[in-house]
This record gives sequence, C-alpha cells and structure tokens, in this order.
Amino acid sequence: MEKKKLQYALIGGFILLIVVLFPLVSNNFIIRFGTDILMFAIMASAWNIIGGYTGYASFGNVVFFGIGGYITAILMEKAGMHFAVAYLAAGFGAALFAVLIGLPVLRLHGHYFAIATLGVAEAMKALVQNLEITEGNSGIYLPMLDLSIKGQYYFFFYMMLGTLILTLLLTYLVLNAKLGYSLIAIREDEDAANSVGINTTLSKTIAFALSGFFTGLAGSIYAYQQAFLKPGPAFSVQTTVKMIVMAVFGGMGKLFGPLIGAFSIEIISETLSNYFLVAHTLFFGTVVILAIVFTPKGLIDMITQRKFGISYFLENIREHRI
Amino acid sequence: MLLQILVNGILMGGLYALMAIGMSLIWGVMNIINIAHGSFIMLGAFTTYWLFAILGMDPFVSLAFSIALLFALGYGVQRYLINYVIRASAFITLILAFGIEIFINNAALVSWTADIRKVQVAYGAANFSLGNYVTIPTIRVVAFLLVIVISIAFFYILNRTNLGRSIRATSQDLDAARLVGVDVAKTYAITFGLGVGAAGAAGTLWSILFPISPIMGGELTLKSFVVVIIGGLGSMLGPIIGGLALGITEAFGTNWFGSTYGNLISFTILVLVLIIRPKGILGGAD
Repeated sequence: MEKKKLQYALIGGFILLIVVLFPLVSNNFIIRFGTDILMFAIMASAWNIIGGYTGYASFGNVVFFGIGGYITAILMEKAGMHFAVAYLAAGFGAALFAVLIGLPVLRLHGHYFAIATLGVAEAMKALVQNLEITEGNSGIYLPMLDLSIKGQYYFFFYMMLGTLILTLLLTYLVLNAKLGYSLIAIREDEDAANSVGINTTLSKTIAFALSGFFTGLAGSIYAYQQAFLKPGPAFSVQTTVKMIVMAVFGGMGKLFGPLIGAFSIEIISETLSNYFLVAHTLFFGTVVILAIVFTPKGLIDMITQRKFGISYFLENIREHRI
Repeated sequence: MLLQILVNGILMGGLYALMAIGMSLIWGVMNIINIAHGSFIMLGAFTTYWLFAILGMDPFVSLAFSIALLFALGYGVQRYLINYVIRASAFITLILAFGIEIFINNAALVSWTADIRKVQVAYGAANFSLGNYVTIPTIRVVAFLLVIVISIAFFYILNRTNLGRSIRATSQDLDAARLVGVDVAKTYAITFGLGVGAAGAAGTLWSILFPISPIMGGELTLKSFVVVIIGGLGSMLGPIIGGLALGITEAFGTNWFGSTYGNLISFTILVLVLIIRPKGILGGAD
C-alpha cells in the first residue's frame, strides 16, 4: 500500500513538473491553448464538487464564472483596485452568491434543481445585459496587464495552474474531512443522511459555495486575460454544458476525472478543428455520442480498471441498455 | 390595448404549449431531459421550408410530412441510440442528448448554411378585427386551433388506446410493465417518436410565423424547459397551462419593461415557480 502511494506521488509529481516547465519550451499559441485547458479543468473540477460528489447537477454554474468576471471588471475598471484584490473578491463574491441562491434552490432535487440553476444563470445574464454598472450588452473593458507579451502568456498560464492546484488540493482535503463523507452520503441517500444527524442543508450549501468560489476565480482570471467582457459569452449556457460534459467524460465523482475530461475534450476538439475546417463540430458531436454510449463511466474508469477494448464497451452497453 | 396584448400572449402561448408537449411526454415517461428538443423543432421547420421552396407545398399540408418524418427520426434515435444507455444515470442520457443536439445543429449548418429563411405564404399577412380594439392575425388563430387539435389527439392516444396504456404503464413501473407483456424498448421508441413528432409540428407552425435558421434550436429548448417546469410534469394539461402562462407574462412583461427584459422576466418566473411550487402550477404538494 505504502509503495503504491509513493508510486502515485511520483507519477503525479512528474506530471506536475512537466506542466510547470511546459510553457518555457512552447510558443504563445500552445501556451494559450494550455491556459484554456487549465481554465476548463478548474471549472469542471469545481462543478464536480456539487454535481459529482453531492449529486446536485447544477446547470447554471456559469453564473459564478460570469459573476467572478464582472466583479473583477468592475473593481479594477471602476474602483481602480489591484488584480490581487479583485481576484479574491471575485472568488468570495461568487461564493456568497452561491450561498444566497443555494438556500432556496438547494431544496429542490434532481432535474428541478438543474433547471432552477439554469434559470438563475439565464436571469443573471439578462440582468447584467440591462444594468448600468456592467455597461449592458456593449460590454466592459478591463485595464491591460502591464507585462511583455510573453510575460502575459506566462502570467495567465501560471495563475490558472495555481488556481487549479488550489481547487484540487482543497477538494482533496474536503473529501477526507467529515464534510466530504456528508456530501457523498447526501448523494447516495439524502433522507438517510438527514436521519443520521448530518446537517444536509449546511453541507450542500458549503459544497455549492466551494463550487462557486473556484468557478469565480476562473472567471476573474479569464476576464483579466480577455481585458473585455460581454454578458453573452460570460454567462453562456454552452460553458456550463462544457463543464458537465468534461466532468462526465472524464469521470464524475472522482478527483482527477474532470481534469482528464477537460484535457481530452479540448485536445479532441482542437485536433478535429485542425483537420475539418467546416464540419469539426459535427464530428465533435459524434465523439460525444460514441463516448457516452461506450464509456458512460468516464475515461478514469478505463484508466483505473485498466480495461480497454470491445469487451469493456459491450459490457457497458449490456449493463445500461433496455 | 391591454386586450390586444392578452390576445397576443394567448396566441403565442399556444405555440409554446405545442413546443413543450413533446418534451413533457419524453421527460415524464422516460426521465430523459431532451436537450435536443429545439433541434428537432428546427428540423420540422426546415422540412416545411424545403417542401414549400421546392414543391410549393402549403405548410398546412406539409405539417403531416414533418410530423411523420420527425416521428420516424425520433423512433430511430431512441431505438438504436438512447435505449442503449437508458438505464445509466440521468446525466448520461442528458449528455447523449447534448451530443445529438450538436450533431443535428451542425449537420444542418453544413448542409443548409446559417442563412435565415422564411416561408412566404400568400395569406401570411391576413388578419381580422374584433370590435375596434383587437387585430388578430388569421394565421396565428389557425395555428392556435391546430395546437388544440394536436393536444387532443395526444390526450386521446395516451388515455384511450392500448399504446397509451403501455406508455403510462412503462412510466409508472418499468419492471411491472414488462411482466405483463409490454415491449418496453418499442414503447420507449414510440414515446420518443411521438414527442419528437410533436416537436416537428411545432416547427412547421413556427416556420409559418417566424424566420428560421439552423441555430434556432437552443433558444426553443430553453423556452420548452420553462413551459414544462411552470406547468409541471405528468399531465397533458400542464404544458398548456405553462405555455399560456409564459406567453401571457412575456407579452405583458415586454410591454411594460421593454423587450430586453423578456428573458429576465421568464427566467425569474421559472425560478420563483420552482421555489414556491416545485412540481409546477398543477402539480401536487412536494
């Protein structure tokens, strides 16, 4: 057992080392692509806390992304604050919003929770489109980062990497604390969890707030990187869907599942768009359909069980077909 | 003025109801949230458009073709795709539907380009007045009556036929339905076909009233969601109540606050309804 743990730590450390050193040998385009992967890895991992571990499929997590971005934009542009302050404020602001909205919405279950969160995100988008302080549909500018071009690419890459490590580390700590067990108990059977004395409302709300916190941080970095923010892209339903697809594709309810999902989905869609100029999204849809039919438990299930090939696929189909 | 807004809202609400009936059926019976629903509506709209553009077929005739075509498509999708993952968690079917949506939208984009098109029928602008206050576009009234006819047909199928009994039995208890001899896989396929067929009908009517494009589906899926939730699952009356509620509030809301607030109003109502009455206006206590 100890030996296995050491083995995992070594592999993990090695991968981390490669990721940390990777920008030094890459061109700007590749660094930017890596930054995008890291951003989606943060968001998919954050979604995993509420959707994967707690079993509450949020369909509105992009609202935290947008709120984080807009808090950063407003604090930096209108109040002239430093990015470090805006970054933290974005995280805590999104977490606070998660608590406020979570108290009523987390009482709902299953699909109803999913649609309610979707409604919250869409309502928020419409609100931001109409508010004065967010400058509505014309969008809001942020101050540019005062670094060389190369320096900017490094800065955003390492900000995203740092935030991702923070996300995974805190998720790991939560999972091994009492809270983590409470969340999984809620996912498996909420009534039973309640009856053995778990404060389900508190646990769910903390999970939602954590999810919001990290997504808000990602939104903050994204806003600063873009130096311009519009309600449409900032609150896009597609972003939420992407988080969920990545988490499910990689394996939800597993610490590294969303990370693997984000990495592989981004690589697949980038490769496809290189080869098929017009129809790449069509092929992407096909990949999603095939992946769901053949590996509904996610890539991480294949990796950890070391099962590949036709028999594994057929086994999955036999298990889930009617 | 107020009366005119109310009439507009009711007529729009009828179309919303038809959009949502299929989604509600699929969701209620199989617990599938069909994210691709709007894309199927789009396919129905384009069926009508092409039959009109190439053969000059009247939309009210091509309605039958778009229902039949979409029924067949829906049957096939459920039978040969969704049935293979139906017993996995609800997430899985949801993501599968998402993949289907991407596929349909982009197949349509590649073959028909993103151009906005319109079915220009000769009687498109005809209208009549009620008293001196209210002007009613004839075509919308006809569309509204069709919505009622289709809803009644649905109601009849579900409540008075053997097929309907199989569908309801499957939705109540899958294993028990199978025990008494219901071919569950086929019933699921027919249910999905019926739901998607209704989407095709909605698409045909949509194409007469509004411009269409391959990317129109996303917005329509969201609207159908709202209607299903407001009305509540598990009753044929739900989507109608939900559709009318959405149509009327949207009409008044955009009149009072301006059209940029339309979405804010619909989604705020959605969230409020969910919090206050999680099972919809018609649903029982939680």
